[in-house]
Amino acid sequence: MGNKPIQVTGRSALIMVLRYTRRVVGEQVRAVAFVVVYLLAFLFVIFGSVPTRGLVVAAGIALVVFGLAFFLEGIRIGLMPLGERVGIQLPRQGGVLGVLSFGILLGVGATFAEPAIATLTSVARGVIPWQSPILFFMIETNPHILVLAISGGVGLAVALGLMRFYIGLSLKPFILTIIPFLLLMTLFISRDPRLAPVLGLAWDSGAVTTGTVTVPLVLALGIGVARGTGRTRGGSAGFGVVMLASSIPVLVVILVTLVIGRGVPAPMTEGEFFSPDRRGEVERLFRDTSQFEALRLEREARAIAAANGDDAVTHPEVSGAGVPGPPSRGTGSLPEVLRTLVREARGAGWAVLPLAALLGLVLLLLLRDRPRYFDEVALGIVFAVIGMTLLSAGISLGLSPLGDDIGRQIPTIFPETSESEQYVIIPSFNEEELFSVIDPRGERRFFFFLKDGADLQLVEFDASRYDRNAGTYQLHLDRSPEWHEMVPFLGVGLVLLFAFGLGFGSSLAEPGLSALALTVEELTVGTVRRWTVVFIVAAGVGIGLVMGVSRIILDISLMYMLIPPYVFLLPITLLGEEDMTSIAWDCGGVTTGPVTVPLVISLGLGLGSVVGRTDSFGILALASVYPILAMQIYALVLQLRERRSIASPASGGEA
Amino acid sequence: MNAESVGSLVVTEVTCCVHHQLYEPVLELLRAIGVPAVIHESGRTVRLRRRRRGEQTEDQPAEVLRFLVPPKATDSVFEQLYRAMGSSVRGRGSFHAQQCTEHILTHADALPDLSMGAEPDPPVTLPVSTKLALITCVLSTKGSAERVAELALEMGTGVPLVTLGTGTGMRDRLGLLRITVPPEKELVQVVVPLADTEVVVRQLVEEGRLDGPGKGFVFSTPVQEAVLDTLIRSGSQRHAASMEQVVAAIDRLSQGTEWRRRFTIDRPGTTPLMKRLTHISFICAAERSGMFVEAARHAGASGATSAPVERISLGENHGRDSARERCTLTVSSSLAPAVIERILDTSVPEPEWLDSLQTMPVPVAYSYRYGEAPMVR
Repeated sequence: MGNKPIQVTGRSALIMVLRYTRRVVGEQVRAVAFVVVYLLAFLFVIFGSVPTRGLVVAAGIALVVFGLAFFLEGIRIGLMPLGERVGIQLPRQGGVLGVLSFGILLGVGATFAEPAIATLTSVARGVIPWQSPILFFMIETNPHILVLAISGGVGLAVALGLMRFYIGLSLKPFILTIIPFLLLMTLFISRDPRLAPVLGLAWDSGAVTTGTVTVPLVLALGIGVARGTGRTRGGSAGFGVVMLASSIPVLVVILVTLVIGRGVPAPMTEGEFFSPDRRGEVERLFRDTSQFEALRLEREARAIAAANGDDAVTHPEVSGAGVPGPPSRGTGSLPEVLRTLVREARGAGWAVLPLAALLGLVLLLLLRDRPRYFDEVALGIVFAVIGMTLLSAGISLGLSPLGDDIGRQIPTIFPETSESEQYVIIPSFNEEELFSVIDPRGERRFFFFLKDGADLQLVEFDASRYDRNAGTYQLHLDRSPEWHEMVPFLGVGLVLLFAFGLGFGSSLAEPGLSALALTVEELTVGTVRRWTVVFIVAAGVGIGLVMGVSRIILDISLMYMLIPPYVFLLPITLLGEEDMTSIAWDCGGVTTGPVTVPLVISLGLGLGSVVGRTDSFGILALASVYPILAMQIYALVLQLRERRSIASPASGGEA
Repeated sequence: MNAESVGSLVVTEVTCCVHHQLYEPVLELLRAIGVPAVIHESGRTVRLRRRRRGEQTEDQPAEVLRFLVPPKATDSVFEQLYRAMGSSVRGRGSFHAQQCTEHILTHADALPDLSMGAEPDPPVTLPVSTKLALITCVLSTKGSAERVAELALEMGTGVPLVTLGTGTGMRDRLGLLRITVPPEKELVQVVVPLADTEVVVRQLVEEGRLDGPGKGFVFSTPVQEAVLDTLIRSGSQRHAASMEQVVAAIDRLSQGTEWRRRFTIDRPGTTPLMKRLTHISFICAAERSGMFVEAARHAGASGATSAPVERISLGENHGRDSARERCTLTVSSSLAPAVIERILDTSVPEPEWLDSLQTMPVPVAYSYRYGEAPMVR
């Protein structure tokens, strides 16, 4: 007994570490298993192929498992205790001003540290000025304003979120003002072709700022502040900051665009852009004329180079607004893997260390306090960096290529493409055998008779398939009409099924969600189970992806998919109890994480090649609204069950 | 007891466990009757629910409120609580009173004067049970609360309560290797007839498989009076009264729970139980338990369990709540005075960090002791 350190022999230490590793890694194996098995099953069963570079993919998936284990342990023993400690001390020693200024500082810091914001600006760089002048204006000409708007938005959100605990305000008024306003603004801007391209950027900036490191940190901090000020009535105070941090930046970016983007011209052609008549209008996009001149000279140089047949100077590629592009894929050789690891380690360091340092310094120097277990926190931070490195490396080596393998094959399950494989060449086709008919619009169309076996068919003539010189006609066959009728639904059904499973499975492995769910379980003392939260949110993401995919296939406007769930959500939110409402709304912010986003992009790219465009933006936005809806409905069910349990006749009969 | 030295006072600690929905009304009542502050902790109650496919356990959020009253005020507080929870407490909550020795609030006037005026309402007969014990299982393996709570449902007189805590003890002596031992503890508490304590502790240890290293430990503290939540089974009911209601009625008639002593022959005790221990609990500022536990360990305590709680002020400082930690430790009675002194000494530089410190006897406890041969069953 007493205080003496226990001398642990090397052997028992090893046993303890191994048991710990088995427990922690085992949990992540279960978390990742579903999505991996699902992807492989799809690949084998539906497409009948095996993953390219199977060994590298397997190694990558192993990295993902270990990365998640390290990262979540790091968050659990390092970042979250640190954040909670700061949160508890802050209101006691810093008062209102302390909480406010630290909130802003942390929000701004988080925005600069999260690697995603760098992706946002670097991917969107390469925007073509004449195609979407407003994006060019925001990203190329005024990147500092954009970054300031986003980080200011997050700072404002974190400060507001923490102040909410300090004063003891409900989250509902925030939801009920911010969300409708945001939707109205979105609706309003989407009608303005000059400003509409900014919407993608704005909504994505909201998803990007609530990253894997920020979410647990902000949660822990919120719990700390709520505890420090004694505002924990109801049990689960501490939630709600994530919701604010993913909606306020969107609003700020939209508002900033409205203010500074008023004089920006509408999209035009390249020729118009450089024509002298529009010079005055166009120059407004640039800080000064020299920039415009530089662009013009570059264009001329390119024109000359193109004329010389030199394609070294290529046109910057068009990219979807703000959607992070697929991470670069290695070849799988050992040096390549090492290079990936080094690159990801740098990113992980940037994501974790500045925030940890900010919290640590504030705690040690300003609040004059130290964490209970200093060594544990330090080890946790190291774990978080290692975990994030392994996780991102594993995703780019294993999970993303697997997703791509499937994404690439998605077009093959659509009949339009598979049908085109089935054709025969009719030699010595004679145009004179055609006869013409006239349709109601007065257009002449040509037909011919085909004898196929016993059947006599009337076939419409397609001039593009007729080779006049060779005298051949490419006849497309549809041998089995049932197949043709059934397949469109089968193909679409398969893609929707795939989308659901992808969203569901990748969310199971999402570290931010895992950290949030664990916190929910702890704060509700197990009345809301961790896996219940994960499953419900994952199902919500799955439904969101299904909606997003059907929107792309059926070409429905995003507004029709996005606004109804929100409209439905607002009254439910009013009915819901405070604590579960904040939890539900926070769930929306954690869904678009490092595991989901690359897989969704693979899916989007695959679909894009079918319908001829990529639009991941819509998918991501939908992937965060449906989980909120799912959680809020679950919260309502819980609430009803709770009320019923107290009013049930079996409990009130005695007197 | 030695611990009852110069500065100590005998008080009654009332623990009130209410359904989440009744939290605010009960707080309002306590404020109205003059309780200056309560310590609040979140937990859940576990009961059985009848379903088509047999019985399943069902969780309900519960709020635990603890406060000190003068021993003579216990009955009137009980009556008020009983009224506030509605005509019945079944399914709504439970409350119990434990006599303990307070070492910080040592002036009798530090306690609220709860001698209220004449009761306008007709007096009610409370279904009070007496001669009870509170058994607390501190579980170290995550998820074992389910199994233990189910056992407790079978053996207890009321509905078990599950709360969460953080353990310090052996873990802190491991160096950085401690990260391999999760500090989270699940606490399952259930009230049983005093006479059954030993048997129930043994049953919980053996059937709950707590007789191994790093599984947890069990201890009991005496409960003088309790109004228990006997809604062990929820859901549809076939008879005019449930078995639990019948049991409660007989309890009332026979004025005790002695009659339902189940285990008439004490089984030969295979599980070695510990006796003559003292339970020490104290409330300190949030995130400050470390230094107090450290001090206690210097005096020989082996470890402590702490839980985040909040102190809700109901009196003059109404609305000024603050985060606190409630730490509990169980030490051998001979060590208790030294441990208490060390904790009190530690609070001297920052007196506001330690709110209260109480001791209670522990009749029976179980803890795995290293070096013992594993039990053969």
